[in-house]
Amino acid sequence: MNLAFAMVVGALFGSGVYLLLKPDLFRVVAGLVLVSNAANLTLMASGLTRGQAPVQPTQPGAAVADPLVQAMTLTALVIGFAVTALLLGLSVGVYRARHSVDLDEISRQQAADAVLREGREAPHDEEHELHEAHEEAIAYDEATR
Amino acid sequence: MTLIALPLLILWAAAIALALLDGRRRRPGMVAVAALAACVAVLLVLFVKVVADGPQELVAGGWPADVGIRLRVDALGAVFAVVSCAVLLASLLQALITGVQSKATPALTLFMALGLTGLFLTGDVFSFYVFFELAMIAAYALTSAAGGERRAGAAFIFAVVNLIGSFLFLIAIGALYRATGTLEMQAVAERAAPLDPTTALLIAITFFVAFGIKLGLFPFHFWLPSVYLAVAPHVAAMFAGALANIGAYGLLRFGAAILPRELALSAVALIAIGTVSIAYGALQAIARRDTREVLAYSSIGHAGYILVAIGIGGAVGLAAAVIFSIANALNKTLLFLASELRGRLTATAFLIGALSVAGVPPTAGFFGKAALFEAGIDAGSIAVVVLLFVGGALSFVYLFQIYQHDRWRPREQREREMPTGAASRGQRAVALAVAALVLGLGVWPEPLLAIGELAADELLEEGVGP
Repeated sequence: MNLAFAMVVGALFGSGVYLLLKPDLFRVVAGLVLVSNAANLTLMASGLTRGQAPVQPTQPGAAVADPLVQAMTLTALVIGFAVTALLLGLSVGVYRARHSVDLDEISRQQAADAVLREGREAPHDEEHELHEAHEEAIAYDEATR
Repeated sequence: MTLIALPLLILWAAAIALALLDGRRRRPGMVAVAALAACVAVLLVLFVKVVADGPQELVAGGWPADVGIRLRVDALGAVFAVVSCAVLLASLLQALITGVQSKATPALTLFMALGLTGLFLTGDVFSFYVFFELAMIAAYALTSAAGGERRAGAAFIFAVVNLIGSFLFLIAIGALYRATGTLEMQAVAERAAPLDPTTALLIAITFFVAFGIKLGLFPFHFWLPSVYLAVAPHVAAMFAGALANIGAYGLLRFGAAILPRELALSAVALIAIGTVSIAYGALQAIARRDTREVLAYSSIGHAGYILVAIGIGGAVGLAAAVIFSIANALNKTLLFLASELRGRLTATAFLIGALSVAGVPPTAGFFGKAALFEAGIDAGSIAVVVLLFVGGALSFVYLFQIYQHDRWRPREQREREMPTGAASRGQRAVALAVAALVLGLGVWPEPLLAIGELAADELLEEGVGP
């Protein structure tokens, strides 16, 4: 049984990481969902006993499944849902601004923006600053004279 | 012992209420400040009690001690909680005075404070994860809260990278539970001692990677600069001053208290990674011009110092890690808060922060560095002492580079490049208050040093087990 758990967790984690490396926002989110479920399954698998209901048995000494891991998994699942919703919200924000979920396309656009911005901010170069300061000094000199 | 639950209850109630209100208005902002201030006050009382009477415990819901979830606070947790909440309070005040752009900022700050306080005060491994995730989700939301595509993008990277860290942490908790059969930190520490070294080392490495990502250590640092660059300075102050404490606290708690044998085994690796982190952070910072970018890379370097101190270990090394973390949290908050304000007084505040980072007396940073030197000498390693000296010299260089670049220039040019306007009286007051704290701890460092030693002693005691 442990081997089965380990293989499923490994497959989930592997596919999750594979999707995480794709240049597409929604695939990244899907990959993260898979990784989160790999973690949840690990938690379930780490139970000390399993196979029975996780409630106090009516007969003393009867077997019971470990309830603690189930409580933990439930909490982790809820947190995972919240995080997925947040990530999807962020993806929508990026999509609205760039009209694309392709990460290559987005970084191309960002690079183009950076070039534009630099073009505008060109006068802030150090040499130009020195030049400006020099001119200011000359103007000040002339004004005081 | 309701004193332990009180700060959490205050923050929780206020955060829920504020989530429904428009945080850009004046009154919700004031409620948030009041709640945080009350929380800092209660935590200070708790801190004094912990220092006087030793660790305090509370089993939630009146359950028997072995069944219920335990809140436990020792000197380490108490001091980190006080520092983090104070940092959040200063940053929130600065945000409100500057004018918040988002409805959610006050509520999210309170949720972050709740998560941080909770994880510093909990004695249970799994509720550590829950509080930790609460603080992190608030941080992701806070990154994107002010809007803009760049922030949404930065928040996305921040969230994805840190979530991988969170899930690794969850897997490590599962493994630790499977191996020890309990979630109660002290019991885990006791039962982890006789574990098979391979199992325990694997668990320890997974924890290390999880906290390394939060702390922004060298091989896991790549998310950090883009996030610190995208957010407003007061949000960056919250991240560098409060949120990064999770990493330092987690490494101390899970490394030194729960898995001390594995920490000792991997000491050389930790010191090596720390060294690379210091060198990388400092060299990258020197190459940058933008103030916030420099500060972001300098944070990566400072995470390295903490790791080196933890790697050295023992009473002196752990005390140095605690003292340096506290001084560093205050320094970074001060630098970020003062970084985009013009005016002579805020320039002075920035200068105090820069001197403190470089480790010049009389500032808190000097004692952080001094404690590290002591740890290096104690370990008998010349290499570590040289590394600390070179690192300090480099931080002096990059901070004065940006000080010169930002402040030593004609007034018109400064006004053009720092369009935030001259600092208002309130902004100045907040920056100067933090600067006064940094100077105060430098002039009268006994409390800082004493708390560092006390925290280290308690950690070592827990590590050995009762």
